[in-house]
Amino acid sequence: MNSRFSVIGLRLGIAIGALATITMFSGIAANSRAAAPATQPKPAALNGGATYVGEAVCIACHAPQNQQFTHTVHADVFRKNPKDELQQKSCEACHGPGSNHLKNPADPTNRPSLIGFTKEWGTPVATQNNQCLQCHSGGTHMFWDSSLHARNQLACSDCHNPMAKVSDTGLLKKQSINDTCYTCHQQQRAEFAKRSHMPLPEGKMSCVDCHNPHGSTAKAAMKADSVNETCYSCHAEKRGPFLWEHAPVRDNCTTCHSPHGSNHDKLLTVARPFQCQQCHDNTNHQTNLFNAGQLVGGGAAPNSRAIGRSCQNCHSQIHGSNHPAGSRFQR
Amino acid sequence: MKTIFRLSLATLTAIVASRVAASPFATSGAGVGTTLGNKETASTNAARSSDPDWLAIKHTPTGQMFKWPLVVPKLANIARDAAGWEYSGQVEVGYVGGDADERNAQYRMYQDFDQGAYLNNFDLTMKKADGSFLGLSGGAAGRRDQYYGANFGHANSWTVKLYFSETPHVFTDSYKTLWSGLGTETLVLLPGLTPGGTASTAADNAAVAATAANPANRTSLSLTRKRSGARLDLTLSASWKAFASYALEMRQGARPISAVWGNNGGTAPIEIAEPIDYDTRDISAGLSYAAGLNAFNLRWSASIFDNNISTLTFQEPYRIAPQGFTTTPAAGAYTVGRFDLAPSNTSQNVRAEFSRKLPEFFNGAITAVVAAGTWRQDDNLIPYTTVAGITSANVTILPGGDWSTVGSLSRPTAKGKIDTRTADLTLSLNPSPTLNVKMKSRYQESDNNSDPYYAVNPNAVYVDADAGTAGNQTRGLTYAGLTGVWGRPLNDATGSGGVLYGAAATPTGSVVISNKIYSSKQYRLGPTADYQLSKTSNLTGSYERETIERTNRERTKTWDDRFKLGYVNRDLPRNTTLRTSYEYGQRRGSRYVTAYYEDAMSAAIIPMPTTAGANVTSWAVRNNGALRNYQLADRNQQIVNVRLDTMVRPNLDAGLSLQFRESRYPGADYGRGKDSQDSVNLDLSYQPSAKQNIYAFYSYQEGRVRQTSIQQANNVTIGATTPLGVITPENAATIGSAPGGPFYLLNNYWSAKSKDRNHVAGVGFKQEFSKATFNVDYSYTLGRTRLAYQYNTGGAINAANAVFAGDRMPDMAVDASYLDASLRFPLTPRLSARLVYRNQWERIRDWHYRNLDGSPVVAANPAAAPTLVALDGGPMDYRVSWYGVMLQIKL
Repeated sequence: MNSRFSVIGLRLGIAIGALATITMFSGIAANSRAAAPATQPKPAALNGGATYVGEAVCIACHAPQNQQFTHTVHADVFRKNPKDELQQKSCEACHGPGSNHLKNPADPTNRPSLIGFTKEWGTPVATQNNQCLQCHSGGTHMFWDSSLHARNQLACSDCHNPMAKVSDTGLLKKQSINDTCYTCHQQQRAEFAKRSHMPLPEGKMSCVDCHNPHGSTAKAAMKADSVNETCYSCHAEKRGPFLWEHAPVRDNCTTCHSPHGSNHDKLLTVARPFQCQQCHDNTNHQTNLFNAGQLVGGGAAPNSRAIGRSCQNCHSQIHGSNHPAGSRFQR
Repeated sequence: MKTIFRLSLATLTAIVASRVAASPFATSGAGVGTTLGNKETASTNAARSSDPDWLAIKHTPTGQMFKWPLVVPKLANIARDAAGWEYSGQVEVGYVGGDADERNAQYRMYQDFDQGAYLNNFDLTMKKADGSFLGLSGGAAGRRDQYYGANFGHANSWTVKLYFSETPHVFTDSYKTLWSGLGTETLVLLPGLTPGGTASTAADNAAVAATAANPANRTSLSLTRKRSGARLDLTLSASWKAFASYALEMRQGARPISAVWGNNGGTAPIEIAEPIDYDTRDISAGLSYAAGLNAFNLRWSASIFDNNISTLTFQEPYRIAPQGFTTTPAAGAYTVGRFDLAPSNTSQNVRAEFSRKLPEFFNGAITAVVAAGTWRQDDNLIPYTTVAGITSANVTILPGGDWSTVGSLSRPTAKGKIDTRTADLTLSLNPSPTLNVKMKSRYQESDNNSDPYYAVNPNAVYVDADAGTAGNQTRGLTYAGLTGVWGRPLNDATGSGGVLYGAAATPTGSVVISNKIYSSKQYRLGPTADYQLSKTSNLTGSYERETIERTNRERTKTWDDRFKLGYVNRDLPRNTTLRTSYEYGQRRGSRYVTAYYEDAMSAAIIPMPTTAGANVTSWAVRNNGALRNYQLADRNQQIVNVRLDTMVRPNLDAGLSLQFRESRYPGADYGRGKDSQDSVNLDLSYQPSAKQNIYAFYSYQEGRVRQTSIQQANNVTIGATTPLGVITPENAATIGSAPGGPFYLLNNYWSAKSKDRNHVAGVGFKQEFSKATFNVDYSYTLGRTRLAYQYNTGGAINAANAVFAGDRMPDMAVDASYLDASLRFPLTPRLSARLVYRNQWERIRDWHYRNLDGSPVVAANPAAAPTLVALDGGPMDYRVSWYGVMLQIKL
């Protein structure tokens, strides 16, 4: 690494780190002095200045909802061990104070008197999400505000159904993480149906193994800082660093692989040997046009670079080699 | 109830004891292993009844129907024991018959299913009014896709989650082994095969073919991934949370790889079985705080990967004649080969994230991240070959320098180390209630601090008679402070061209003498603006510049400029939501240097000859000078995304999504010139009542890649006249690597287009009768890939072979059908039956494996060394039909 670049990078990193640290601790200190917990309910700001009525009043009319809600983790938190005043409000912790709703609960024009999480109810998405963020800020939701989903004006309840335990975990709107994601990401669903794919259709992996739908600072909402770090979380044997490295492999796994699925073996973007020949126009056989005649039964002499594993019939350690003679990735 | 409780605890204890301890169904931000289940999970759930008391269909804010909740135990009917535990649960057991034991690798790729008795799944939930809870779940008991989970704790205070999950990965069921010891570090040839082969290649071919044809030697190669973990989550207060997790993943099995001998393209590559015996331990801990204006996360994570089998030694059934490098020993002595497998390594990462709202500064917010990590491995290096006493014409081995010893290496261990650093800062401001502006910046570095490895035998010298070596002939050559014989004997010392002056007194410039160290730095910076046009519509725009600096690559610097416009409207007619975006990206970079690795080649030691008539190809040509690696090439990219969700009727949703992505590489005269992928997707969901649900979907995807190349032709010779001029030492590299020069003759130009087409369609319905529930899911997948090429007859392909080559490869094709049907009906209040029927088939054609399964020894004639010994027959068709009779027992 060029030393000048290293110095610049180091300084930039230190500067940003120092700024973040100073801001963090000064902020925490200031906030401590302010002594105003974020999770304090703000009744005056919600539902037209309504007041809290208590969940018993809600349940009196909404017994079927309560029947489902009781089985959710929210119910356990709110009813059995609330950590603050807001959580004690149970239904109204999310829907806001309900007194104005009671004035005319069946009138559609009175819907602004309560926060709803459905299309039918019509509460602005930002208002809905703010309710969730009262408790679900920070942690893995820290980058929600700058996430792709937030930018596309998604509501939390576009993926979650806090009123019913439809999924095993996460209070999702569908029974699984993958099914929930597929409701918008059908293209990925189609890719997972291809010949080679990650084991999502088999229920052994989920979209959030790689992505954080609540936002991350990496591209494509990846959980790790780079594509390769994401892949290494399962494929640690490819982490190396190897004695002999294959430059594009070190740079980005998606140079050669389509992570969601492919018509080709090993999630490759193009069939071998053509996959490799997009970059390798070196001396020797890399430049040859391998063709149908060179397949077994093709008419001409079969060629090992065309059939079977193609290039990897010889260069089998293509992700890197630790063998002293492994510069060609053959051992 | 006490019995149930004890049983639960016993099960839990067994899980914990059997797998040390476990980790997370990690949160969406940490770790992997976020789901527990298998292929059958969805089928089981689909047959459950819907809650008859639920009121009405509701839609998400986007306009998609929420799934009708499934029936849950009524509050009044939840079982309780004397200690106050409420509990509910179920277990499903039964019998599976039909073709469920099909062994096809495509069918079994990630699942394990067999005929006979089957514990499909179970779950138990226990809760107390004080917030205590315990949950157990699992399924596929005893199968290679089994899974178990447990969680217990106190609501909103602490939670312990445990899990264990197995996943098979079947690579092939048509492997024809020639060895015993599959899955171990040593492969020993079966009786009838001779290590190092015999004097008769024909006899060796016949013996290999006979062994491969023996049905007893046909087997599958697979691995099993067993992941277990434990995670503790603590809610310290409404503001403070902490977690710690541990996970152990073990992978064991074998997979097919190929091993080559000799050189110059290799001789007799043969598919062997690489043993897999990995242990990976993931440990992490973190603390988070969120209250008021501030939030921060601190996290430490480590990953320790151990490969319990570090080398693979295999016996070779052919007599491989060493190709030029060695003079002794002769053919027949090369009986085994040895791979150095993936090295054990460790990784650590420390990360701090912080956010603060700035209500008094344009109602803004700031988020910041700093992270640092390191990846290391320092495996012991193995010698170049297992064959002792190798000598060659121009090299004298000194004591301790035998190529079969570590004395021939420049150092004994790998000394690999990469440090990573990340810093990210985002400032978000709201200058008005309808406008949000963000400025994002990011720095990321992957700093490879590995020690350069030099391929030099410090205990060897060149012989006096080597007239081509400059300087004192009894010493090794010195480069980078190291002295010895440069290069590395290839393929267990059977290859030529790997050692400078190894095969001949004439030097070459293309012997690899050191590795390359790849590092990178990435900078991203750019604003985003989000303007609220109305309460239900937004317009966003963003610009981002991403600059990447790389070491030891064709370009030291590339920069991407990306412009993106987005529009969202959630209140179009018929309650339609539209999300659409257009993105244009342009990548450019610094000067492109094709021969960027000259210091890693013997050209760095031996200057290019300058005498007329000297063949300087190995100095002058590294790659086609007009080829651009698509990872680094100039690129113009456009992406269009459209997503429409509409409520056709209150109980009928339709969703349409389109994506068009096209990348062109304007500076790439050779290599990848263009790629694109277009997708169209349609979803329909109809739910006329709680008792009925119908859905259908269809996706079409088309991907294209276009690439060009020039097949090599003539050598580059000093003094030769070419269409680009007379070759001199000064212009040899320019002319030698240029299209139109002697090496890259324009007549040898060829191009290829790959076109993938995929159709995926599905339909399903669920009907609940007065007591029974019937559910059907069906999907069909069709995939085609056409790879067509163009060339000049007599150029890249001669006239004789053009007859066979035609203009394309045979189409690759995959057709897959999947039908799952379940009929569930109650027998008693606590007992239900579920009848399951599954019909699944796949037809696959891949030209790589055409005609290989029946004739694994591919040779020009019976007496010739094989072109390939393809012991993996490749993917095969299958058709499976099975039924199951399952009993569901409620607790």
